[in-house]
Amino acid sequence: MDFPILSTIVLLPAVGALVVLALPRRRPELVLPVAVALSLLVLGAACWLAASFEVGPGGFQFEEQVTWYEPWGVSYHLGVDGISLLMVLLTALLFPISLVASTSITTRVRGYAASMLFLEAGILGVFVALDLLVFFAFWEVMLVPMYFIIGVWGGERRVYAAVKFFLFTALGSALMLAGILALALLAGDRLGRPTFDFVELLGMDLGRTAQFWLFGAFALSFGIKVPLFPLHTWLPDAHVEAPTAGSVILAGVLLKLGAYGLIRFNLTLFPEASVSLVPVMAVLAVIGILYGAVVAIVQPDIKRLVAYSSVSHLGFVVLGIFALTTQGLQGGVIQMVNHGLTTGALFLLVGMIYERRHTRQIADFGGLGAVMPVFSGTFLFIALASIGLPGLNGFVGEFLVLLGSYLSLPGFAIAATPGVVLAAVYLLWAYQRIFTGPVTLEENRHLPDLGFREVALLLPIVALVLFLGIYPKPALDRVEPAVQGILERIEQATDYQVPQFGEQAEVAVFEVRP
Amino acid sequence: MNETLTFLSIAPEVAAATAVVLLLMVEVVWKPRPAVWGVIAGAGLAAAAGLSGWQWAAHRGAEAGTFFNGMIAVDGFAAMAGLLVFPLAGLGLMSAWRLAVSQQRRGAEFVALVMLAAAGAHLMAAAADLIVLFIGLEVFSISLYVLAGFTRERADADEAALKYFLLGAFASAVFLYGVALVFAATGSTTIYGPGGIADYLTGMVIFRPGVLVAGLALLLAGMAFKVTAAPFHLWAPDVYQGAPGGITGFLAASAKVAGFAALARVLTAALGGRADDWVPAVAVLAAVSVVVGTVLAIVQDDVKRLLAYSSVAHAGFILTALVAGRDGIGDMWFYVATYAVQVIGAFTVAAVVSGDSRGRSPLMHYAGLGRRSPWLAAAMTLLLLAMAGIPLTAGFAGKVAVFRVAIDAGYLWLVLVAVLATVAGLYFYLRVIVVMYMSAGGEAAPAVPGPEVGWGARLTLAAAAAVTLVFGFAPWPLLEVLRDALPL
Repeated sequence: MDFPILSTIVLLPAVGALVVLALPRRRPELVLPVAVALSLLVLGAACWLAASFEVGPGGFQFEEQVTWYEPWGVSYHLGVDGISLLMVLLTALLFPISLVASTSITTRVRGYAASMLFLEAGILGVFVALDLLVFFAFWEVMLVPMYFIIGVWGGERRVYAAVKFFLFTALGSALMLAGILALALLAGDRLGRPTFDFVELLGMDLGRTAQFWLFGAFALSFGIKVPLFPLHTWLPDAHVEAPTAGSVILAGVLLKLGAYGLIRFNLTLFPEASVSLVPVMAVLAVIGILYGAVVAIVQPDIKRLVAYSSVSHLGFVVLGIFALTTQGLQGGVIQMVNHGLTTGALFLLVGMIYERRHTRQIADFGGLGAVMPVFSGTFLFIALASIGLPGLNGFVGEFLVLLGSYLSLPGFAIAATPGVVLAAVYLLWAYQRIFTGPVTLEENRHLPDLGFREVALLLPIVALVLFLGIYPKPALDRVEPAVQGILERIEQATDYQVPQFGEQAEVAVFEVRP
Repeated sequence: MNETLTFLSIAPEVAAATAVVLLLMVEVVWKPRPAVWGVIAGAGLAAAAGLSGWQWAAHRGAEAGTFFNGMIAVDGFAAMAGLLVFPLAGLGLMSAWRLAVSQQRRGAEFVALVMLAAAGAHLMAAAADLIVLFIGLEVFSISLYVLAGFTRERADADEAALKYFLLGAFASAVFLYGVALVFAATGSTTIYGPGGIADYLTGMVIFRPGVLVAGLALLLAGMAFKVTAAPFHLWAPDVYQGAPGGITGFLAASAKVAGFAALARVLTAALGGRADDWVPAVAVLAAVSVVVGTVLAIVQDDVKRLLAYSSVAHAGFILTALVAGRDGIGDMWFYVATYAVQVIGAFTVAAVVSGDSRGRSPLMHYAGLGRRSPWLAAAMTLLLLAMAGIPLTAGFAGKVAVFRVAIDAGYLWLVLVAVLATVAGLYFYLRVIVVMYMSAGGEAAPAVPGPEVGWGARLTLAAAAAVTLVFGFAPWPLLEVLRDALPL
């Protein structure tokens, strides 16, 4: 067997957390550097994984499988395809950045860094697990460190937000657990022995009724995480009350878990139900896009504004997924990465201004552009990426999503398009109120601009935003075989036909494929 | 039948009882230091556990049999109960050690009662005759009544003990009446062998099963009282809250082990032929317990009361395994074993925080515990998360085990009720964690030193945490072993 790189990636942060906990109590200044170094190690391993990932063939790579308990059909089964590869990279990138951004945490630093590293282990585990029970274990266990991050190091209403976050997510996952167990036992009837193995379950034909129930159980859990309208109410509270790094991880990675679950499990395990329920999911997605955007416009608190913008952006992701076209799914996955980068960066920027002024009210600022030019420039850049300015990454994702959904769901695509405009409204209007015009308040006049550390941690994100905007091919190439595999599986299991553009049109737009 | 083997069949009880007698004699004659009690009790419990281990090795599966004319069963089931209940008694004693020592000369009686209760609990699991089962039940219960009121100068402990005694005696009477009715219907109190209950029920068609079903219902009610299944749980919160902190964990844990052992054997072995009659009743009992326990735990402001209601909910989770009949026994054992260890650990923390001999343990005692006693708070957090069923703890593995077997048996509705209650249950477990780590007062308050933790409590907590984590990460070996822990 090859070197178990996936196990290493998952275990490394967990071991790192123990290392951090073992650091001497008297030396709190050591904690963050050590944690950052450990998470950089994880990033290195993830980069190595990406470099040795074979582009082209579908299916899972770097698979590891050990049978754990025969009577239940549980095995330790890990593997990555293009979609999970991107998610692993995004996770591994955002964690060191948010740890570097955590210098304002001064109490119980060891516990904080350890929670962050445990969280990273849990999230990475979710993305690489191919056994449903192992997946669920990672899925549920990562709630605990996140709960502590929000609840101990969060803002004013942190306890309320932390408990709400925990309970909402646990409610969804409890039903998913029942669904997973039922699925494994159904497999026992069909395949002769129970199994939680995702790859084996793919080969099973479920009855239509069972598919609908199981789709519901899984979709509720993932929909809460995404969050899909109307299950989103935990999100603004959790995002706003979490410390900066918590918000970055929450928006950047945790929300992606829901969308990832929808792609990985709902589409492939329950294809018939997925095809039938496309209208439902699409309606919810479009409502999310428009509702999130409209609510974001009127937020007086910049962090809340960014939080609601996530609801809108993730709506695009879900719309792309349930468009059930190559372009839509690809766009959805790319948009997940984009949203992780841009919203992560926005939360970082909001955190930086909060550390200076200890307020997040838009009304407390004005004319910062003259005081903090680097800060305002970066903010504008990221905001434009988030809006979807061509040449920056947001454009690629949103455009592909709209293109793909126009193929299969033209009405929904048209209804969703105003979301792009509304994004410009809430972000640019916020930019205008905070950065343009004369300095309105005396205390804002002498705010220091970004320091070296802050620039350094934003720089990788800015570079990636630009890179993915100009040349998204590396990412798209890796996602495509996985997406094709999913759509082929749906076409096999149902009478659904994936609509196609003429090849010409696609080449003209992107030159993605020969 | 081999005469030696006959006595070896009750060897664990004999070992524990011998240690009790020895302890009381030594105490009367020499009035030794408390350490001597510990040595005698430790030796007795270790011998009992060791003999159970021997029974496990020699009498599992095909080697199982009954002795004393069908009174005592020696099988994987009874041996597993012994392997569980004697170490649990050891844990209970360690966590209650400071309480025992603080009772001066009465402490020896305290230690003796714990061992006697363990012997009774094992007899309940090993009984192959309903009368022997009743004797075990009484030995066990009466020891616990006394333990609950051991700090007799404290009125609320007396109240708890009296309440426990009166309601417990009533439940025992109900159980006994059930035995009588089953005897009336089947003509036997013995479970196994020709002419035994199991034999009669599988061989005969009963045209008028009214008496039998009434007996079954009474047996179920009597046992449900012991395991605190709703609606027979009303005593538990008051008793757990009033009983001295140090011993509450043992009260809760041993009652679960003994009660479920007796329940599982009576239902699946004796009344296995009438499964269609009792499985729906068990399912309803499970659902009611889970819902009532969870809902009432949410509104509690006292940690011991909260744990009491949570133990009602856990009784429901464990009953969920029994709807699968014999197939669910291994999963039931897994849940019972891991939960018993967790609950001893959790009550140990309560005893440390609020005092070994005190009854109440209000939530405010825990404010800022994460700062004052990080290890204590961490242990409590782990145990609470395990009870809540978070993965990588034994609690999650147990829940998956019982849910899985119940879905397999066709009780999906019960599992749905149970998973929803699990989520609601998170709320009150998290509440304790919030108070320990996130309470507003904890930050500003001056650094109050945490409560002092005795070595007994330390060992108990270390053992509980180790069991919870080890079987959380790798439950497979234990699950595999427990597949053999079946009744004859």
